[in-house]
Amino acid sequence: MGRYVVRRLLQMIPVFIGATLLIFLMVNVMGDPIAGLCGDRQCDAATAAQLKKEFGLDKPVWQQYLTYMGNVFTGDFGTAFNGQKVTELMSTAFPVTIRLTIVAILFEIVIGITLGVVTGLRRGKPVDTSVLMLTLVVISIPTFVTGLLLQLLLGVEWGWIKPSVSSEATFSELIVPGLVLASVSLAYVTRLTRTSIAENRRSDYVRTAVAKGLPRRRVITRHLLRNSLIPVVTFIGTDIGALMGGAIVTERIFNIHGVGYQLYQGILRQNTQTVVGFVTVLVLVFLIANLLVDLLYAVLDPRIRYA
Amino acid sequence: MLLEVRDLHVEFRTRDGVAKAVNGVDYAVDAGETLAVLGESGSGKSVTAQAIMGILDMPPGRIAGGEILFQGKDLLKLKEEERRKVRGAEMAMIFQDALSSLNPVLSVGDQLGEMFVVHRGMSKKDARAKAVELMDHVRIPAAKERVKQYPHQFSGGMRQRIMIAMALALEPALIIADEPTTALDVTVQAQVMDLLAELQREYNMGLILITHDLGVVADVADRIAVMYAGRIVEQAPVHDIYKAPAHPYTRGLLDSIPRLDQKGQELYAIKGLPPNLMAIPPGCAFNPRCPMAQELCRTDEPPLYEVSQDRTSACHFWRECLNG
Amino acid sequence: MPEPQEPEGAIAGTGMGGAMDLAVSEATTLEKGPGQAGGPQGKPRSLWSDAWRDLRRNPVFIISGLVILFLVVISLWPSLIASGNPLKCDLAKAQEGSQPGHPFGFDGQGCDVYTRTVYGARTSVTVGVCATLGVAILGSVLGGLAGFFGGFWDSILSRITDVFFAIPVVLGGLVLLSVVTSNTVWPVIGFMVLLGWPQISRIARGSVITAKQNDYVHAAKALGASNSRQLLRHIAPNAVAPVIVVATIALGTYIALEATLSYLGVGLKPPTVSWGIDISAASAYIRQAPHMLLWPAGALALTVLAFIMLGDAVRDALDPKLR
Repeated sequence: MGRYVVRRLLQMIPVFIGATLLIFLMVNVMGDPIAGLCGDRQCDAATAAQLKKEFGLDKPVWQQYLTYMGNVFTGDFGTAFNGQKVTELMSTAFPVTIRLTIVAILFEIVIGITLGVVTGLRRGKPVDTSVLMLTLVVISIPTFVTGLLLQLLLGVEWGWIKPSVSSEATFSELIVPGLVLASVSLAYVTRLTRTSIAENRRSDYVRTAVAKGLPRRRVITRHLLRNSLIPVVTFIGTDIGALMGGAIVTERIFNIHGVGYQLYQGILRQNTQTVVGFVTVLVLVFLIANLLVDLLYAVLDPRIRYA
Repeated sequence: MLLEVRDLHVEFRTRDGVAKAVNGVDYAVDAGETLAVLGESGSGKSVTAQAIMGILDMPPGRIAGGEILFQGKDLLKLKEEERRKVRGAEMAMIFQDALSSLNPVLSVGDQLGEMFVVHRGMSKKDARAKAVELMDHVRIPAAKERVKQYPHQFSGGMRQRIMIAMALALEPALIIADEPTTALDVTVQAQVMDLLAELQREYNMGLILITHDLGVVADVADRIAVMYAGRIVEQAPVHDIYKAPAHPYTRGLLDSIPRLDQKGQELYAIKGLPPNLMAIPPGCAFNPRCPMAQELCRTDEPPLYEVSQDRTSACHFWRECLNG
Repeated sequence: MPEPQEPEGAIAGTGMGGAMDLAVSEATTLEKGPGQAGGPQGKPRSLWSDAWRDLRRNPVFIISGLVILFLVVISLWPSLIASGNPLKCDLAKAQEGSQPGHPFGFDGQGCDVYTRTVYGARTSVTVGVCATLGVAILGSVLGGLAGFFGGFWDSILSRITDVFFAIPVVLGGLVLLSVVTSNTVWPVIGFMVLLGWPQISRIARGSVITAKQNDYVHAAKALGASNSRQLLRHIAPNAVAPVIVVATIALGTYIALEATLSYLGVGLKPPTVSWGIDISAASAYIRQAPHMLLWPAGALALTVLAFIMLGDAVRDALDPKLR
C-alpha cells in the first residue's frame, strides 16, 4: 500500500509539470502578456520594454516558468495587473466554486446513484428505458443551454429562484446552478451505475450470494452494490476536478463570482498572472482528486491493495 | 427420499426463440448417497441443479412444469422467503470457478461467517470464530491468520476448499457440486474430490455431483444419471453402467475415455454436435448421432424403459445396447 | 470472469468536460467475437454482421440515423429548405415573433431565425465531422502504435495523455482561442484535435493491447508475419470497434463544445452562422424574446442527441455482453 501511494505520487509530478508548462506556454507565448497593461491603447515600444523587464518577461520562457513555479511553492502567485494579489482573488473565488462543486457532487451521488441502481435492477422495464432516454437527452443538451433554459423557466417565467446569484453565493442560491453544473455528469453517473449493476448482477459471486440463502436486500447492498459502486465512486472523484474547471459556463450564466468568473475575466483582460495562477491550482486540484480516488480505489478493492 | 425431482421442465426465452433446456427430468438422491449427473455442456445438468437450488435467472428462465420434492415438500410451491431459508441451510451448492464465485471485495472470513449471521443470527465475532473452525475443517493451513484474507490471495485448490467450507457451514442435508474440480490442476483435483467425499460421509449428506469427467465419477459416485438434450437417457448404479451401458450415448461417452490398453489406436469420438435446444430433433433427440438409430428412433420418442429394478434407459434398443 | 483492474484503466480522465469518459469506459468493455447464447445454429456470424442485423431493427438507430442523414443533406444544400439569406437582416424587424414566411421569427439583429437555424447546421456538422476525423486519425495512429510496440514511447505517450487530461477542456479553449482573430472554423477544429486526440489514443491503445493478446495474433507472429501485417490485417480490424463507437459519440460532444466556446465568445465569430453564436446573442434578450434562444438551442440539442444516440446504439450492438 505504501509503495502504491509513493508510485502514484511520483507519477503525478511529470503530469503536473507538463500541464502547468503547457498552460504557461499557451498564455505567455501565444498571447501577449503585457497587452492588457496599457488599457485600451497599444503600448508604445519603450513602455513595453520597460514593463517586460519589470515582470521578468525579457528572460527565456523556461526561466520565467521556473521562477514562477518557485514563487508558487512559497505561496506567491504574483500580482494581477490592477495591483490585487492573485492569492486574494483566489481566497474570494475558491470558496464560492467549492460550494458550487459540493452541491453538484451531492446531486450526482443522491440522484445519479439512486437512478442508476433503480434502472440497473429493472433492466429493460419501462422505468429503465425512460430514464435511459432521459439521460441521453440531458447529455445531449450542452450545459449552457440547460442553464439558460432553467434560468428562463425557474428564474424569469415562474420566479422560483433569482436569475442571478448574489455575491454571498449561499448554498440555497447555488442549488439550481449546482444542478446545471452536475447535469451531464449526473446522467453519466446514472448510466455508469446502471451498467455496473446490471453487469455485476449476473456475476458468479452474486449467484453464490443468492445460493447462500441471503435475503434479497442483503444480496443487493452487501454483495451487488459494494462491488458495483467502485467504478462510480472513482468517476465521481475524478469529476471533482473537472467540475471546478468546468464551472466557467455555469458561473457565467448565473453570474456567480467564483473561479470560472475570475478566469473568464482574466482571459478577457489578458491578465496573465491570474489565468496561470488559477489554472495551476485547478490542475493541482484535479491531480490530488485523482490521487485520492486511486487511494480510495485501493481501500474499496482489496485486489488493488494487495497487488 | 431426501430429494426427488419429477418430470421437471425448464425453458429459456431468448431473442431467437424458446430454448428447452430441461425436458422432463426425473432423479432422486437419498441421504448419504452420491448421484453423479453426466453430460455434455448444454445437456441441462447445471440448469436442473439451479432449478433445485432456486437460483435460476427468471426471466429468461422459466420452470414449465414438474415437482422438486425435498424432504417431502415441493420446493416449487414454497414462497420465496421460505425457499430462501432452505437455500444455504438445508441444501447448498459448490460452483465450478471459485475465484469468480467468491466475492472479490469481502474477506473469506466475512463470506463464511455470513452464513451464521444470516441463518443462525450469530454475532459477527462468533461467526468469525465459526469461519476459522470451518477453514480448519477443510484443512486450510493457518486458518486463524488467513481468515482475514481475500479470495485472490488463495491458490485455486484452497479457494475451492473455501467454497466447500461455505457449503458445509450449516451442515445441509444436500450438497450440489457443479463441476467442483474442473477448474483445478489435475493434482489438486483428487485432493479436493477426496475431501468432498470424506465430508459427505462424515455428515451423511446427499450429494449431487455434476460433471463431464467420467474418471471422477467411478471413484465417488453411487449412481449415475446421464443427461442428453435436457433428458435423462440412462440412470443406473455406477458399476452396472461401467460394466455394460444400456444407452448408445453412454456407450459413446465411455468409449471416448482414453485407455492405456488401446494406446496407439484412434480415440473414439461421438460424431456430430449436441442438438440446438430450440429445435430438438423429433423422436429420440440422440438419433442423428446414434450409430444404432433405426426408423423408429426418428419418429417415436423413447419412454424410460426399466432395465432392472434400479436402472432405466431411454433407448428403444436398450437390450441390443446392453449386449454390445 | 472479473479480472483485477489496474487503477489507471478504471479511472476515466476528465479532459473532454467529462462528457465522453463514460462512453470510453463503457466502450472499452466491448468484447470481440460472436457471443452467441442461442446455441449452435446456422453459419457463424461475425461481430459486424451480427451488429448490423441488430442495428437494422433498432428504432433508436433508425431514427438517429435519419436525423443525421437529414442534417447532412441540409448542410450540403441548405437552400433546399431555406430560401432566404442568413446574413440578410432588417433591424426594423428585430426581436419580432413568428409571422408568415418567417416561422421562427427574427433575432436581435432582425435576421430570420429559421434561415439562420438551417444554415447553422452546416457549421456544426463541418466542425463535428472535421474534428472527429482529425482526432480519430491522430489518436488511433498514435495510440495504436504505442499499444502495439509498447516500451519507452508507450510510457511517454501515456504521460502526455495524462497531461492533456489534466487540463479542463473549456478552460484550454478559452486560453488558446482567445488570442485567435481568424473567423473561420479551422482554429476551433484545430483546437479540438489538439485537445481531443488523447481521448481516442487511450481507447485505441487499450484495444490494440487487448487484440494483441489474441491467440490468432500470436499464431500470425509465430508464422513470421511482419509487424505491419500483424497490425493491419489482424489487430486493426478487431481494435477498431471501440474507436468507432467513441468517435461517433465524440462527434456529438464536439458540436456541443463548439457551441459552448462560441457562447463564451472564443469559438466561431460572425459572420459565420453558428447555433452557439445565436444562442449567445439570444441569451441577452431571454426575457423579451425567448423564441430566439429556443430554436437554435433545440436544433443544437437534437443534433447532439442524434449522434450520441447513434453511438450508443452502435455500442450496444457491438457489445454481446449486454444482450
